[in-house]
Amino acid sequence: MNIRDYLNKERLYSDGGFGTLLQARGLRAGEKPEMWNLTRPEDITAIHLEYLNAGSDIISTNTFGANSLKFDCLEEIIAAAFTNAKKAVELCGKEKAFIAFDMGPTGKLLEPLGDLPFEKAVEIFAETVKTAEKYAPDLYIVETMNDSYETKAAVLAVKENSDKPVFVSNVYDESRKLMTGASPKAMIALLEGLGADAIGINCSLGPRQMVDIVREYVKYSSLPVMVCPNAGLPRSVDGKTVFDVDSEEFSDCMAEIAEIGAVILGGCCGTTPEYIRKTVEKTAAMPFTPVKEKNYTFVSSYTHAVEIGSSPVLIGERINPTGKPKFKQALRDGNISYIINEGVMQEEKGVHILDVNVGLPEIDEDMMLVRCVRELQTVSSLPLQIDTVKASAMEKAMRIYNGKPLINSVNGKQESMDAVLPLVKKYGGTLIALTIDEDGIPDTAEGRTAIAEKIINECAGYGIDKKDIIVDPLAMTVSSDNRSGRITLDSVKMIKESLGVKTSLGVSNISFGLPSRETVNSHFLTMAFTAGLDCAIMNPYSAAMMESYYSYRALSGLDENCAAYIDFASTLKKETVTVSPSAENTEREDMPPLVRAIVKGMKDETLKSAKELLSKEEPLTVINNFIVPALDRVGKRFEEKTMYLPQLLMSAEAASRAFDAVKELVSASDESKGKIIVATVKGDIHDIGKNIVKVLLENYGYDVIDLGKDVAPEVIVEKTKAEKVSLVGLSALMTTTTDAMRDTVELLKRECPDTSTVVGGAVLTKEYAEMIGADYYAKDAMETVRFAERFFCGEG
Amino acid sequence: MGLGRDYSDPEFERIYGECLSEYCKNAFYKGVYRESSLSFGEGDELFFDFCSFSSKALKKNLEGCKGVIVFAATAGINIDRLLLKYKALSELKLMTADCIASSGIECFCDKLDSVISEGRETKPRFSLGYGDTELKYQRELLSYLDAERSLGITLNGSMMMTPKKSVTAFIGVK
Repeated sequence: MNIRDYLNKERLYSDGGFGTLLQARGLRAGEKPEMWNLTRPEDITAIHLEYLNAGSDIISTNTFGANSLKFDCLEEIIAAAFTNAKKAVELCGKEKAFIAFDMGPTGKLLEPLGDLPFEKAVEIFAETVKTAEKYAPDLYIVETMNDSYETKAAVLAVKENSDKPVFVSNVYDESRKLMTGASPKAMIALLEGLGADAIGINCSLGPRQMVDIVREYVKYSSLPVMVCPNAGLPRSVDGKTVFDVDSEEFSDCMAEIAEIGAVILGGCCGTTPEYIRKTVEKTAAMPFTPVKEKNYTFVSSYTHAVEIGSSPVLIGERINPTGKPKFKQALRDGNISYIINEGVMQEEKGVHILDVNVGLPEIDEDMMLVRCVRELQTVSSLPLQIDTVKASAMEKAMRIYNGKPLINSVNGKQESMDAVLPLVKKYGGTLIALTIDEDGIPDTAEGRTAIAEKIINECAGYGIDKKDIIVDPLAMTVSSDNRSGRITLDSVKMIKESLGVKTSLGVSNISFGLPSRETVNSHFLTMAFTAGLDCAIMNPYSAAMMESYYSYRALSGLDENCAAYIDFASTLKKETVTVSPSAENTEREDMPPLVRAIVKGMKDETLKSAKELLSKEEPLTVINNFIVPALDRVGKRFEEKTMYLPQLLMSAEAASRAFDAVKELVSASDESKGKIIVATVKGDIHDIGKNIVKVLLENYGYDVIDLGKDVAPEVIVEKTKAEKVSLVGLSALMTTTTDAMRDTVELLKRECPDTSTVVGGAVLTKEYAEMIGADYYAKDAMETVRFAERFFCGEG
Repeated sequence: MGLGRDYSDPEFERIYGECLSEYCKNAFYKGVYRESSLSFGEGDELFFDFCSFSSKALKKNLEGCKGVIVFAATAGINIDRLLLKYKALSELKLMTADCIASSGIECFCDKLDSVISEGRETKPRFSLGYGDTELKYQRELLSYLDAERSLGITLNGSMMMTPKKSVTAFIGVK
């Protein structure tokens, strides 16, 4: 008997709360329920049996927290859990009774918000799944997941180690988001892409509060929807947790949820066999409607899904080294913040998706793409378009991506399809399909449509649906063939109409070789939207392109009350920077413009002044006679307490603009005055002070390796050795972490005797620094800089 | 933030306003509390429903109390993301937002404290990690409150809480 024979053919019932029943049988606060598989097996079997007798078709093993992080005796617990569940099935004698292996969260939050690496999470879940496989579960239920990234890790672990169906259920709060931010649509997109067999909602909310989320699931999901609410909301009465919805009200609401279209019904915290029995009674005779395939094209991030097709979608093209010397240099230098800045700036300009292309022959693209995707998905909520021709880089990036990415791209060459399509099938993604094959790019709309059709058919063989394919019929420059624009526009129209797929274009190619390209690009964009273009890969910094986009939406009825256009138009007038007259007057007039701009913390003014000065003076003169004196002036005033931290940082950030201008003229390698490691010690996450120290040291020309916060002594020592660093700066804020500071200093003294230490932080004193053997105590960031200046001059 | 009384800088005020507005958009306060029994053992030993440990400082704080309320509160995970974003973009914004967030969660804790304390005589709240109390009891405390499920608070290997702007505390009840 296979659960797939029943799935989406009839309504299925799962079980209800387990913890509630265990507590009733004596489970104490803090006691691990999974241990009862071994210590109280009769009780576990009895609970399973109660649910089966109440009408549950699916019972979940008592293994919610069974993972190697929590248990040393994992195998014993899992084996016993299956024994207990199988015994209940035997005792019940029901034919339609399935044992689901139950998997809950690890209890750790994944990086970057927590400290569990994604691959480690996959490994932990995989270990559990491999063990469970020995006992032949009918299916897996991954449930009570409140983080999209951990959900992905768990589903990947199941898919990579089992061919059994996997049902996936997430926890939403009152704001209809997962704890880490994902919306229902984002989870639907992610889980359909990963190949889950059923998806749904459980825990946290009662059935009434779940109704709207269920509606959203049923509307957008092509997979069967599973709903297991709590018995209402919990509250504490005489020290005990009770729930406010009884079995009558619960089952009435579950009947409503069944009516909406959920096809797997059960319960969670606070529910008992009685809740399931009444739910079965009230819904069993209701007509059953199977879930239908939906035709929404989504890409998603950790927060939201972007729908492609309902309104034009803008894909920011700026994270791409082609034709950008500064970007190329940032890639060579591993300057990730430059790349992140590009992402955030484009988000602020209003794009919906960020293209990420970091291909450069001289760098390790696999590593760099993974790093960029990881960093970008930390700071930007936009979905990403993974843009690479290298399948290995594509796979690595798709694997660690927290959502359903847009994949750029596959083309009609067999080799390309063989490499890319298995990845899309495994990890999920929406695919950009280029109309080029072994014979090149056809010069007719019919030819390009034929290639698109070939790719769609090949995708079908992998089970990749048409809704997950976006065809790019390729914009070729009109400067070499004046029919190019027409052919591309005709192709967009024909592909949409005859194949029923969405379309995309790299718009700016159209003007290659022409003067005033922005003019041609923006007009072409409007024409392409009119022809039915769904996605434009474009430069959002181009005002003309953005004007086209907002105008098109307003003119074609996609912008209610022209609200978005009006908002956009208001930003066009805010280009000039105003400086407060009072701020002007308080500064002495004898400062050169660059010094004054840095002292005042005016970033744009600083960059402008630095560029002007660099056209007349040598870069080193600009550094030594202007930038450094400006920083010194600020530092001195900070020490005199006539300037405060925000001003110090504003000046530091302004000065870094001046250094950017200098770096454009000279190679960065000969500027470093010395290499310094900074870290906040193990057990402490208060790193503001350390961050300020870092910024100032960098401004003064030091190469700073920032190891972050909560850093173990061994990590600091290892890096100190590897990078041959002679000065290490350590910070701590909490009284409880001064011991970690001492341990780190001691280990450094032992392992790296030639390295000096400078320590600081709110709880430290000069006396304590001396006591733990630190070489220097700095009371604030400026003093650290002064010490570094002396140290690297040999005076430290 | 260490600013002087007369500090005024239009540019910083603009940045502060931006950080405050982003913070307000992202903060999502939640709290949970539960009453525990309290008894005093030998020396500085303290017994709660969920754990026992020795602490001179907490014992002094709880002197004369018959019970204790433990609570956990958080400003939510979006603040961690906001701080990570600022970390990548601007140390000034990072510092500003961090200060705003610390004040924000403290204000929320004050409110929660006043709700909990209403109608009874209570002591000032006391958090693990302060004085001679060890952070390692966070695990028991959070588990007692079921805070992972209800608030999404998890611990890393160093017993630091995520979301970063989260607070746990004891409030002694006389």
